[in-house]
Amino acid sequence: MARNKFDVDETLESPFSFKHLKRAMKYIGKHRSRMLLALLLSAMASISSLFVPKLMEWVLDDAVPNRDVGMLLTLAGVFVLIIAVVIAFTTARSRIMAHVSQEIIYDIRKDLFAHLQKLPFSYYDSRPAGKILVRVINYVNSVSDILSNGIINAILEIINIVFIIGFMYATNAVLATIIVAGLPVFIAIIFYLKPRQRRAWQSQSNKNSNYNAYLAESIDGVKVSQLFVRQGENMAIMRRLATACREAWMRAAYISNSVWLSSEMITQIVFTLMYIAGVYWMGGAIVSFGVILAMGQYVSRFWQPITNLANIYNSFINNIAYLERIFETMDEPVVVDDAPGAKDLPPITGEVRYEHVTFGYEPPVEVLHDVNFHIRPGESIALVGPTGAGKSTVVNLLCRFYNLNGGRILLAAEDGAEHDISACTLHSLRSQLGIMLQDSFIFSGTIMDNIRYGRLDATDQEVEAAARAVRAHDFISQMDMGYDTVVGERGGSLSQGQKQLIAFARTLLCDPRILILDEATSSIDTKTERLLQEGIQALLKGRTSFIIAHRLSTIKTCDKIFYVGDGGILEAGSHEELMARHGLYHALYTAQLQEQN
Amino acid sequence: MEGKEVYQCKWLFGIMDKRYHKRHALALAISAVTSLMLLINPALTSRLIDEVIVAQNPEPLLGLLLAMLAFKALREGLRYYMVISLETTSQNTLFNLRRKLFEKLQYQDMQFFSRHRTGDLMTRLSADMDWCRHFLSYMDYQVVDCVFMFVSTLTYFFLVSWKLTLALFIVTPVLMIITKLYSSRVRPKFMGMRERLAEMNTAAQENIAGTRVVKAFAREDYEKERFDERSRAFRDANLEINKMWLSFYPFIELLANMMTLITLFLGGFFIIQGELTPGELTIFTSLSWALSNPMRNLGNLINDLQRFATSASKVMEIYYSRPGIEDRKDAVDMPAMRGEVEFRGVSFSHGKKVILDDVSFHIRPGQTLAIMGPTGAGKTTVIQLISRFYDVSAGEILVDGMDVRRWKLDQLRRGIGTATQDVFLFSDTVEGNIAFGDQDLTLDDVRDFARRADADGFVSRMPEGYDTIIGERGVGLSGGQRQRIALARALAMRPAILVMDDTTSAVDMETERYIQEQLRNLPFPCTKIVIAQRISSVRDADLILVIQDGRIAQRGTHEELIRVPGYYYETYALQNDLPPKPACARPAQEGGIC
Repeated sequence: MARNKFDVDETLESPFSFKHLKRAMKYIGKHRSRMLLALLLSAMASISSLFVPKLMEWVLDDAVPNRDVGMLLTLAGVFVLIIAVVIAFTTARSRIMAHVSQEIIYDIRKDLFAHLQKLPFSYYDSRPAGKILVRVINYVNSVSDILSNGIINAILEIINIVFIIGFMYATNAVLATIIVAGLPVFIAIIFYLKPRQRRAWQSQSNKNSNYNAYLAESIDGVKVSQLFVRQGENMAIMRRLATACREAWMRAAYISNSVWLSSEMITQIVFTLMYIAGVYWMGGAIVSFGVILAMGQYVSRFWQPITNLANIYNSFINNIAYLERIFETMDEPVVVDDAPGAKDLPPITGEVRYEHVTFGYEPPVEVLHDVNFHIRPGESIALVGPTGAGKSTVVNLLCRFYNLNGGRILLAAEDGAEHDISACTLHSLRSQLGIMLQDSFIFSGTIMDNIRYGRLDATDQEVEAAARAVRAHDFISQMDMGYDTVVGERGGSLSQGQKQLIAFARTLLCDPRILILDEATSSIDTKTERLLQEGIQALLKGRTSFIIAHRLSTIKTCDKIFYVGDGGILEAGSHEELMARHGLYHALYTAQLQEQN
Repeated sequence: MEGKEVYQCKWLFGIMDKRYHKRHALALAISAVTSLMLLINPALTSRLIDEVIVAQNPEPLLGLLLAMLAFKALREGLRYYMVISLETTSQNTLFNLRRKLFEKLQYQDMQFFSRHRTGDLMTRLSADMDWCRHFLSYMDYQVVDCVFMFVSTLTYFFLVSWKLTLALFIVTPVLMIITKLYSSRVRPKFMGMRERLAEMNTAAQENIAGTRVVKAFAREDYEKERFDERSRAFRDANLEINKMWLSFYPFIELLANMMTLITLFLGGFFIIQGELTPGELTIFTSLSWALSNPMRNLGNLINDLQRFATSASKVMEIYYSRPGIEDRKDAVDMPAMRGEVEFRGVSFSHGKKVILDDVSFHIRPGQTLAIMGPTGAGKTTVIQLISRFYDVSAGEILVDGMDVRRWKLDQLRRGIGTATQDVFLFSDTVEGNIAFGDQDLTLDDVRDFARRADADGFVSRMPEGYDTIIGERGVGLSGGQRQRIALARALAMRPAILVMDDTTSAVDMETERYIQEQLRNLPFPCTKIVIAQRISSVRDADLILVIQDGRIAQRGTHEELIRVPGYYYETYALQNDLPPKPACARPAQEGGIC
């Protein structure tokens, strides 16, 4: 699989189509009635405010020439009334739409995040974290307004335009026609700019995403950069990425800003033509003062919504690039997911059976080929063998982090049946397994919370008991705040060994039937390790356990030892059996012993 | 604007390149001029009405219309130039800010990074900086526009009819009070919203980074719940701001409309009174928006300004931060490092906690030092002090006889190649990762160092060999593979001091033996410092230190240490199935050799 680097644009495979917008309807649709109400309120507000020019016409054409102060006051009263109505409607609309737009963002973000939770490791492995992050946070923020207020405003402006055209024609048909005639020209300009604009904004979002990805990675890896005195080179890379951002932005700015420039100019030209017509064309008679004044108002009132529409369209084009990214992420295939009709795995006994298991991360390269074994409940299994032979893969498959390419894995349950793990729900499977990974990731938060991650409803006493069992209690209680000590991101101030101990406690706490320890104690000193092993003896009773370790002294006592190599299990048996066999394990063990002495 | 915001603006302008200052100022001047130009066309329109329509005389029409068109074209042309100028200068500022803050981050000390989480820093360097850009590209000209339009319109009105203008003017003080009130109320809300955003960012960031753990514990639902909580908090914070805004909006809007009301009806009344001509009134009516629009805009500008202020202060915090560890004034230019390391009574405390206490040792160039000890005893701290990631609390550390605090950081760290315990690899090619500390390395050299770290084998088997992009943190590689790439990366620095912090914990014994063999025959001289749990990793060292609770509990060579009871022997015994007491002929003296 092609992995993505920070400075590689993630090009979109599909051209933009309105299906993105259709899809967005899923989020918008549920607010239909509220949006309709908002639309209605706004429409009423705009219609009400359309009477303002009419009022002006009456004031100037009737009340003032007739010196009718009474009428003037009445009109003023009407004016205040209209304004009050407009403000009330507008406020109500804003309130409704703020909720709608915030809920749309919230929903999109929720779905996006939920989908991310389902995506396989390979998704995370193949692109920088910063690029994922920017989609969840920044892009979602950006699209909300266009999807809520943008749509309402677009509809409103169209309604506005229709009404104004009506009003204009009612006032003077010839002049109205002249004003409307500018529209096709403007539309032609928009269509000319559109593809350029879309490309420009897309490129801008790409460059931005690259910059963010590099930034996130640089912050996470700052220690390595300092160790290797890489700051100069990093800054050069960053400057390159920031320059690309700037250039992409400027390209987009040149194009986008020509939109309003065109609309403003067309407005003025239309205005000019209207006056010329008003004065010369009206059969010699110059149109009335009131009419020309009202029409002058309508010119701007007609062209304003058109400019607004152009702006909405502009930001639509801009944000659609983000929307595409969001939907693209949501479309990312969930490789490992609950099969259709998957059932919850009933409580398991700890019996495990691998039948003809074949697997490769990037087919056709096979990491495991036709692996078969059977493990009885409560047995402890050690996996040994050279680095990269597939030891971790064997246990990763049990957790169904990946799908098999062939064969099946069965777990016996207390209901007496054996269940194929691919037919069970992931949650019911994984929550019965206790997995301690090589990389002991610690979340920022208190130590208590980190251990409790293993079982959310564990009491403080249970957390402490788990910590005691793995010999982590001593160092935790020595810390300033004990279990309430806040550890930074990735375990911040803790040593690697301490992180492993906490991760170990976390795994134990979830009280699994099957325990998987992948290099669980590699960074822990031998003495603590031994104490830890004694401490967890009682806890391991009755549980099936898989242990991957390089120090053979730690796994000698396991019930079975699998020597993994060449895509399969080459030797299996107890320590004594394998030693007696004088095979690969024997060679490995004696080599280690010799090495020590 | 309050004093704080003025200070922030000054700071922001200071970041812009000097050569753009003029252009930015010019753009703002254009903004002022073009907002004045808005008054010209309405003035011409009023002449048009008075001279053409009221007088029923078409003669001056064409001239007036052409003048209007010309003015419009000139104005919009200038505006376009202005907008592009502002985009250019604000992009320049954004670029400088990015560069400057990135540099700051690159040189910050570890304490800084334990205070600020990645998600928080990301918010500052993306969303917050974007508000700074937005200020320069949009807000500042909007302010100029509003002020100029308002003031100039008012002045113009004053010249036409001072009575009517005075009537309009009474709205202003009320507006100011409302504005002030709103600003002060909404500010904390923006602060809160900004915090919620950073929290949400952090939650997402950690979830992405810890995805393996999340899946392993089937905690997807819990994570969703947790993220949801932050997402909701962010939403609610936004809604609260909106609510606050909507409680002020009707008043601002009402005041803006008061302007039209006064103009139209009082103006109409004045015409009736004969104090105003209809043409003059059209000046008022056609320009009443020039008073009310700035007022309407005001609310948005206050919102934006508050957001800018919140964001700018976050950015400035990083901008003005200073690393706790940097080159001292009396730093000495040192010749190429030889690799001699000496600790003299070194103590190090973190907060109240003593991590190292009175540690002393000395190794000569080319020697190997091994450090063992229980988890959390302070082993990693020893090597972090040599690279000066922290400064000692007492005592001193000498490299080549010079206190590390008087070394230039670059020179010091360039001399030390570290293979860290927690392997961080970058999303780059394998080659790029190995040549991380020295980009001029040839592919042959890269291969050579990879071979020495026993990484060449598996790298060559990858589909694209050394050009394979490995994911961030080296995901997709096994722990042992990552460690070997990290070792190759450290070797590629050709360091005078090679530090290996538990570098081979995840590789099998055979590989480890191979690597050790390679390390004995490096093509450059180097002092080695090894932290390990396995006896096999440390037995050949010239000096082995056992650190317990921050103190050196034992020191000596393998041969010496296996003869005395203590941590080293115990570990040795555990790893080799030996009896828990050394088979010692003579009784051991305190820390002595049997």
